[in-house]
Amino acid sequence: MATDDILDVRGWVRIGMDSVAENTVGMSRHWEYTDGVAWFLTEFVMTIVIFGGIMSTLFVLLWMERKLLGRFMDRRGAVTSLRSLWVGEGGVTAGEWWNQLPFGTGVPIGMLNRTLNKVAGNDHELEAVSRVKNRSYHGVWWMLPGFFQNLADGMKFMTKEHMVPEKADRFVYEVAPFMIIATTVMCFTFIPLGPQIYSNDSELSILFLMAIFSIAPLGVFFAGWSSNNKYTLLGGIRSAAQLTAYEIPLLIVVLSVVVLSGSFNMIEVIEFQADSGVWNIFLLPLGGLLFMVTMVAEVERIPFDMPEAEAELVEGWWTEYGGMRWGLMFSAEYLRTYVACLLFAHFFLGGWEAPFEDTIPFISMVPHVVWVFLKSWFIFIFFVWLRASLHRVRTDQILEFGWRWLLPLSLVNLAMATALRLWVYDGINGEWPILVPILITSIGLALFILLAIDEDPAAIEANTRPYSVQTTDVASPGQHRE
Amino acid sequence: MAEMWISMGPQHPMTHGLWTLKVKIDGETVVDTEPDLGYIHRGVEKICEARDFTQITTYCDRLCYASANTWSHAYIYAAEDLLGVEVPERAEYIRMVAVELQRIASHLMWLGAYCPDVGNLTGMVWCLREREMMMDLLQELGGSRLHYNFPRVGGVKRDLPIGFAMRCRAKLKLFLDRIQEYEAILDESTIFLIRTQGVGYAKAEDMVNHGVTGVNVRAAGHNYDVRWAHPYSIYDELDWTVAVERPSIKGSDCYDRYRVRVEEMRNSAMMVLEGLDKMPGGAETNHPSGDPAIIAKAPARAPEGQTGFHHFEDSRGESMFYLVGGGEGRGKHPYRVSIRSPMFITIPYAAKCMIGYKIADIPAIMGSFDPCIGETDR
Repeated sequence: MATDDILDVRGWVRIGMDSVAENTVGMSRHWEYTDGVAWFLTEFVMTIVIFGGIMSTLFVLLWMERKLLGRFMDRRGAVTSLRSLWVGEGGVTAGEWWNQLPFGTGVPIGMLNRTLNKVAGNDHELEAVSRVKNRSYHGVWWMLPGFFQNLADGMKFMTKEHMVPEKADRFVYEVAPFMIIATTVMCFTFIPLGPQIYSNDSELSILFLMAIFSIAPLGVFFAGWSSNNKYTLLGGIRSAAQLTAYEIPLLIVVLSVVVLSGSFNMIEVIEFQADSGVWNIFLLPLGGLLFMVTMVAEVERIPFDMPEAEAELVEGWWTEYGGMRWGLMFSAEYLRTYVACLLFAHFFLGGWEAPFEDTIPFISMVPHVVWVFLKSWFIFIFFVWLRASLHRVRTDQILEFGWRWLLPLSLVNLAMATALRLWVYDGINGEWPILVPILITSIGLALFILLAIDEDPAAIEANTRPYSVQTTDVASPGQHRE
Repeated sequence: MAEMWISMGPQHPMTHGLWTLKVKIDGETVVDTEPDLGYIHRGVEKICEARDFTQITTYCDRLCYASANTWSHAYIYAAEDLLGVEVPERAEYIRMVAVELQRIASHLMWLGAYCPDVGNLTGMVWCLREREMMMDLLQELGGSRLHYNFPRVGGVKRDLPIGFAMRCRAKLKLFLDRIQEYEAILDESTIFLIRTQGVGYAKAEDMVNHGVTGVNVRAAGHNYDVRWAHPYSIYDELDWTVAVERPSIKGSDCYDRYRVRVEEMRNSAMMVLEGLDKMPGGAETNHPSGDPAIIAKAPARAPEGQTGFHHFEDSRGESMFYLVGGGEGRGKHPYRVSIRSPMFITIPYAAKCMIGYKIADIPAIMGSFDPCIGETDR
């Protein structure tokens, strides 16, 4: 059972549970069930380990969302605001924490920081940020200010009154949030955090995971309908329409990953990427893009958050919920986002495999589980980036986009995956010809860049939209007097 | 789904104030609308009948919290018409600076509210941050952040503070750069364009028939700006042009209204910069309060039966004040104060504009007309 993996959690747990079972059940007259009990206990403990691992790192996600949004919404834009992490605003650096380091180890950091401040620092006194700065955190950055905010939020939700609308369908109203949160948490069962950190390794784990992942929309619809409110009803119907429209392309994209890797088992998909030497994103860049877009729609984030469009539907299908039930649905939303990020990391970014594992020396010293989390958090940055920079589309527009664009594109992606697997993949060596990913990635990038340039030079030349405001009559002040 | 009425408001994110929009929907499509106004009617006109001419300014400030200066100035010009006061030219320039800064702040407030209407919070944070600069400048003039109580009958409360011109120029220069960032996040975003273009068509002739004025009607190609058509104050001494959108056959859509407001922010900033340059006596000089250079002597009582009238280009349209003097019997109070609110006329028209569009277009269309309920209900 024990492997050479330094984090063989499953092996340790199995050893421990074996001894527990032998010393309890094995001593009794039911000794023939020893193996079964040890297996059950192992699964039980591993489920708790996975659950705890994902739930505790959910704090990182929420923290990242808050801090990144704050940085993105800073008017200087992403790049310059990242710079403000180490170069101070208004010519003043934040806190001079390096002076507190022992044995003068912080002196070079301070020198570097002063130099950067002189060269790239911002000493414009009128920068509006210097006003905002007045409200910012004055403590030390390594205390991760705001990291445990959600614990406080959760405590607050716990103490709130549980209110049910008078004319709500009480049973469905009560069940819906638990339907959403329970199915979301169940998704973790099939998500491995490392080669030996998983709770379930069934043959069809991807299929099962996607099936469970698709139950939550039903809960959303129940919640919207049972609240007996027009806004929640509209939100629930929108949610049903949107999620069914995006479920199909999502599943076809997942199917293309399955076809490419030749397995419905999550762990085998990851190991296939590690063994063949190429991550799936370099073979299916279109698939990665489609997976990202459909997942944003599935987890109902901007720009696809019509079911809870707060501008017109108040809070959509959430409107009537309060207290901890609202808190559960809120956490379920972020858990679903987290599942989406983890799935992207596993399907397209090679799961726990370190980048350039064979090339960079000592990189395999980093535990596998670290890569899983780093990759999924990296994907989450994209989610936040989208949210900070995009607007909300309309229901008819999102449905049109889903059916007319994403569905055909996902079929194209599936055909590509099939062709790659059948005719390009060298089954004997178990490797991809190295030119194939390079070619596909560069073609994909070139197409993306070409399509991203959507400016119409003729329209700009003719002074039509989008910059069409002009003065039709030249207004001359006092003209009326003449 | 059968048709049903939804009551949006009085507490609803779409309303930007306290009013109710009853919407009849068929599925996602709006079939009929019915605005319901009057939730915050305070009776400002009646209150003003029991106040001095100086005291009324504070009430006019509170007609619209997003655009206080324009409303108090609209009143002040009417009061000066009634009382027959000749205002020093320097005071007119200072008033122009205050009003145009307020117009920028008001349009920024509008854009900041419009971005979340179409689903983007970043635009709101950016706009409100720039609005903060304008409010700092106005605070230097008036002393408070929202309700400045700045103009006086015959002039202004205070001269420009020392250093105001320098700070104002620097901030406006910065602001003119930052308008380009709004255009980068809005005009160059396809989602923003598909949400606003082709939505909420309003024709110029319909709007003129309804009495809609200001930015909304200029967006439809009708070149009517009170500052240009009937120049008051010193607007005919400035070098500026009215921002007018070239209309399409169907009229103006939400995007047109957005563009005109952004252009108007630019124009206002340029006007303030020019006004600071042309300021009689120089923008850096500072007269004490009550100096004849910034305020003229004004009578406290208006003769009976005499009327004063002024129409003013507010941030949201053409506002009008009509005052009737009360004579000795009324003391220092006017006999009658009548206020024309541009949004009171615009909101019912905007509500009719939504028919035929989707529910998601309701905030996009309503927000593009820039409703302000304080002035609507008065």
